[in-house]
Amino acid sequence: MTAGLYVHVPFCLTRCGYCDFNAYAGLGHLAARYVEALEAEAGLWAEEWRGERFGSVFLGGGTPTTLDHADLARLLRSLRERFDIEPGAEVTIEANPDTVDAAKLAALREAGYTRLSMGAQSFDQRVLDALERVHQPASVRRAFAAARTAGHTNVNLDLIYGANGETLTSWHWTLEEAIALRPEHVSAYALTIEPATPLGRKVQVGLVPGPEPDLQADMFDLACQRMGDADYRHYEVSNWALPGFECKHNLGYWRKQPYLGLGAGAHSYLDGRRWWNLRPPTEYLDAVEHGRRPVGGEECLTPQDERLEEIFLKLRILEGVPVTSVAADSATTFLEQGLVARRDGHLVPTERGMLLLNELVLALVSE
Amino acid sequence: MTETNRIRNFCVVAHIDHGKSTLADRILELTHAVSARDMRDQYLDRMDLERERGITIKAQAVRLTHKPDGTPYVLNLIDTPGHVDFTYEVSRSLAACEGAVLLVDAAQGIEAQTLANFHLARDAGLAIIPALNKIDLPQADPEETAREVGELVGWDPQDVLRISAKTGRGVAELLQQVIELVPAPHGQREDPLRALVFDSTFDAYRGVVAYVRVKDGVLPSRAKIHLIAAHADSDAEECGVFAPEATPVPELGPGEVGYLVTGMKDVHLAKVGDTVTTAGKQRAPEALPGYREPKPMVWSGLYPAEGGDYTALRDALDKLKLNDAAMQYEPEMSKALGFGFRCGFLGLLHMDIVKERLEREFGLELIATAPNVEFHVIRGSEVIVVHNPSEMPAPGTYDHVEEPVVLATIVTPSTYLGAVLELCQARRGELIDITYLSPERAEVHYRLPLAEIIFDFFDQLKSKTRGYASLDYEPVGYERADLVRVDILLHGEPVDAFSAVVHRGKAAQYGRQLVERLRELIPRQLFDVAIQAAIGSRIVARETVKAKRKDVLAKCYGGDITRKRKLLEQQKKGKARLRRVGRVDVPQEAFIAALRVDQRAGQKAGQKAGQRP
Repeated sequence: MTAGLYVHVPFCLTRCGYCDFNAYAGLGHLAARYVEALEAEAGLWAEEWRGERFGSVFLGGGTPTTLDHADLARLLRSLRERFDIEPGAEVTIEANPDTVDAAKLAALREAGYTRLSMGAQSFDQRVLDALERVHQPASVRRAFAAARTAGHTNVNLDLIYGANGETLTSWHWTLEEAIALRPEHVSAYALTIEPATPLGRKVQVGLVPGPEPDLQADMFDLACQRMGDADYRHYEVSNWALPGFECKHNLGYWRKQPYLGLGAGAHSYLDGRRWWNLRPPTEYLDAVEHGRRPVGGEECLTPQDERLEEIFLKLRILEGVPVTSVAADSATTFLEQGLVARRDGHLVPTERGMLLLNELVLALVSE
Repeated sequence: MTETNRIRNFCVVAHIDHGKSTLADRILELTHAVSARDMRDQYLDRMDLERERGITIKAQAVRLTHKPDGTPYVLNLIDTPGHVDFTYEVSRSLAACEGAVLLVDAAQGIEAQTLANFHLARDAGLAIIPALNKIDLPQADPEETAREVGELVGWDPQDVLRISAKTGRGVAELLQQVIELVPAPHGQREDPLRALVFDSTFDAYRGVVAYVRVKDGVLPSRAKIHLIAAHADSDAEECGVFAPEATPVPELGPGEVGYLVTGMKDVHLAKVGDTVTTAGKQRAPEALPGYREPKPMVWSGLYPAEGGDYTALRDALDKLKLNDAAMQYEPEMSKALGFGFRCGFLGLLHMDIVKERLEREFGLELIATAPNVEFHVIRGSEVIVVHNPSEMPAPGTYDHVEEPVVLATIVTPSTYLGAVLELCQARRGELIDITYLSPERAEVHYRLPLAEIIFDFFDQLKSKTRGYASLDYEPVGYERADLVRVDILLHGEPVDAFSAVVHRGKAAQYGRQLVERLRELIPRQLFDVAIQAAIGSRIVARETVKAKRKDVLAKCYGGDITRKRKLLEQQKKGKARLRRVGRVDVPQEAFIAALRVDQRAGQKAGQKAGQRP
């Protein structure tokens, strides 16, 4: 079982209203220090993770491509020096269409980044506006073409559906545009309103309507249908891939494989223990620069926690859970309702079941 | 012991908020019964609950000594409950008196309870002393109110006392009138003992304490007593008076009022209206007149909100019943709510008080089903008593149904008379008469089914009259009515806790309203949930809660997993608060919704007119 290595880059050009990630606009001046800190933090963990073989690296954010390409190249080299990263490992970097050009993308490819995940979100300008994204549909097409020119053969497009004002027709259009680019991978997320965001506050006070669950369900159904028609495999609740291009790194989370997270607010999981780094970049920098592990908190999972996680994570993907590990009567009901299917002694979610996963999990986990 | 000619037993009767408790406070002060240091507002209303609600549940009697001309008089002030639920208790308190002060708010004028109390007092043969209160208020209209009151009691309006219980003005004069106009009790020391129980309570240390008025003979401090209606003997341990704190005395003579520590452990052996006499040979041959078994008028199912608290609820009811002889309960089993109790109450207020005490004093969380009256199902010569709508036999298996009917008195400003008549007509009322207390105020009498009254009638009345109308009623027996049972089916299965017995003409509308309300309250499930209202096998309303389609966290990566697990645990806790009825998860609020079907409509109407008081 390989491990995953996650690196968090908390910098963004602007903050989007819906985003509740650990990301900050206007902290670009910390970038150089931050990269050094990441390298230093890697050193602080290297010993503990010596026995683990890493099958994937994932630079997420924030917007990792706000960093200079030379820094990004050096960072990956440092990580390879300190950890046992497989030669053929999947190395993903998230990119904002407005922060990349052909030259930078080529440099990243050269430096060993094998997979590009691009935040497209929508091909409808009105939806991008509602999401407070500053890029335009055209910049996605341009950046995508640049990626191909630079030799990237494994590209993901992130999409979001259900923003205020988005119709089923608009979403259909976005799907067609995305499919037309033939990316190897598509992540399509139902917009989730997080209370502690500017958008969340607007929804709470009624300035903006929240997403309609039934419309989002229709959009999900449409995505299932269109992506399926275009030969993408729906391998996780919100993820589709051409055969062989499933995201190895993310599969690791759902398969409960260990992961090490570096950077501000990053989470790690090893041997039934999960811990997370300090969230504010300055606190993170301060800790690492003083030679301390920047851990902000941890938890030890109880057997019940482990069981619940096992079920809700593995039911997100087509691997599913052993039939014998869940409540039999609920399993029977869900089989009858077509929310799960039986495959090789496992219960796997159907597409309809994926959309009702919370309900399935709560029923299946009960004794 | 005091000579009977120096004793005056009286009470104060008034509509709610006309100032009865404040007057009692002033009387306590004027007679130096309570020192200024110990005085507190509403002194006699002991229980917390009573003070907060501003009403008096338990009658109390205080013994006051008043020396207007140097010779001491003993004034026994007997407090009476002031709510329609407790009419019988009021009548027994009145029976302990020779006179009543009829207190009327000079700003409000005569209200329904003023009338009801006046009639009760007059029927009991009491001397009635009218008094206008709150004359210091700017909006008081003493002249007009005196005219109304004078006409009611047959006094010259000029002679009606004007007082202010708040400032104490006129209270001494009022006491003087009590001494002059209330007859002294009569009764002979030599006669066999007969004392009226006009209230009783259970004290954790002393057992059952009865409030008594000695009519004939002498009640010694320790005696073998016999309660005539209860057929029970006991060794009484102590008698005494409230002055205003409990003070033991060697005996209570004829005409005296006090308490009796009965030596009994069960409050049901000393019910209101019973007669205390001496056990053995000296036993009085006849009881005092007027005893009646307490009879619950309103029934409701009480269930523990979280399953498993059944035993705690049972223990709490057992304890509560110790000092509430009027409440009844019997275990019942609901398919929807599990094990609970069908409880009988004197009225809605009594029900609220019991429920609140159960929750407050015993820390229970309860679900109460919509209250209903007691129905009599007639089958040949057989009378089937139904306390729970779901037990109503199927149509066609009986001859007919009878329901309790009341005679209602409503006093309303004439401007709202139309609205009041409309409301009463809509509630299957039968107009008896309308009389005018003054050109501006009308007194309306209606025969109404009690079932209509307990279904939100009072709130509707208040909302339609800007809060000005008042209501009182008394039961006048059972009448045949065209009633049907409306059942609610969830996903095809009847839910007993939602069943109601409704007049046939309103059944479909009731069913529609409840079904609509339930559609709003029942969360979406993994399948379509049909909510239907049925009369017999006929479906009269249907709504569907569409199946839930989406319930999943879109993103779940490294940092989300802990959070996601906690969210699921939260969601699980939320689910635990739902009741599984058949295959459908029903929130507890839904069971309360049945109580509020009409109230919502009422609130809407009130808001429209901006008249919710």
